[in-house]
Amino acid sequence: MAKPKFDVGDEVRVRNQTSLFHTRTQKYTRGHVGVVSEHRPEWVIPEDEAFGRVEDGRKEPFYVVRFKQTELWPDYTGFERDTLESEFSERWLEPARKEK
Amino acid sequence: MSGSHRHDGHDGHDGHDGHPTFPVASQVSEFEILELAVRELAIEKGIFSAEDHRRFAEWADGVGPHGGSKLVAKAWNDPGFKRRLLENGTEACKEVGIDWLKPTGTGTPSDYTFFYVLENTPQVHNVIVCTLCSCYPRPVLGMSPDWYRTPSYRRRMVRRPREVLAEFGLHLPPEVEVRVHDSNQKSRFMVMAMRPEGTEGWSDEQLEQIVTRDTMIGVALPKAGRTSDEDVQAKAAWR
Repeated sequence: MAKPKFDVGDEVRVRNQTSLFHTRTQKYTRGHVGVVSEHRPEWVIPEDEAFGRVEDGRKEPFYVVRFKQTELWPDYTGFERDTLESEFSERWLEPARKEK
Repeated sequence: MSGSHRHDGHDGHDGHDGHPTFPVASQVSEFEILELAVRELAIEKGIFSAEDHRRFAEWADGVGPHGGSKLVAKAWNDPGFKRRLLENGTEACKEVGIDWLKPTGTGTPSDYTFFYVLENTPQVHNVIVCTLCSCYPRPVLGMSPDWYRTPSYRRRMVRRPREVLAEFGLHLPPEVEVRVHDSNQKSRFMVMAMRPEGTEGWSDEQLEQIVTRDTMIGVALPKAGRTSDEDVQAKAAWR
């Protein structure tokens, strides 16, 4: 079991990388910054599971990331406090601020 | 997609020959044709049998939202169960007779990994959606309503949740945080609303009646005296 790279409370940015193959990382979250709100157990990433590699697929920690709606949508019509949560495997996340 | 007309001039109303050219096919969506083709291939390849498919379909069609109602009602009355439910939803389900591994032994592949109950508070209102397809906690809520699967619900709930909730008749005040949960991976969610006023001393069975499907999706709030079975007061759309 790999040690999760991000802690609850960490600010993370969703990577905007290739989705030539199967992914469950929605387009609307890519490039956006949120906060890790929960850890999820590691499991096979969808990029492998989609091709039947349930046994030998790559396993990664998963995270729930909470976004402010106003961060996701510049023209958000609700209120500042509204949020959205979604899950990501580790490969889709990077620290929100580059390490010095 | 589900339109009954083929827009190719052969929809039976153009008077070419008086016979509709696609009398049956015009009522079948492309998605249904695709499902049928994949199913037949899977049967031919021996992945499952037609009998397996029928049994599973029968099971799936028979599951309603009653399991979910039971979970919420029991949690409202029993703080110990509520704690167990919030800590490990999949495990706590077994206490009301729901085993997420049934009926296939590995879970329904698109459904099963983890089940989380989202507890509403005076500060936070939760609502679920799946923008990628139609993920839904079927073992506890049964088949999802048609609108849950529509692109317009999926794309608008993540982007303009307060407007969509208002269209369902649910207006939440600005001091309540609306939290949308996009079921994009293997977790499945269900909303546990706050126990409404006027239900003090109610039994689990009484409470179950007011925990309707929509309150567990998060587009409605339970109310004493309002159940999913009561007659709907409908007005004629026009006269």
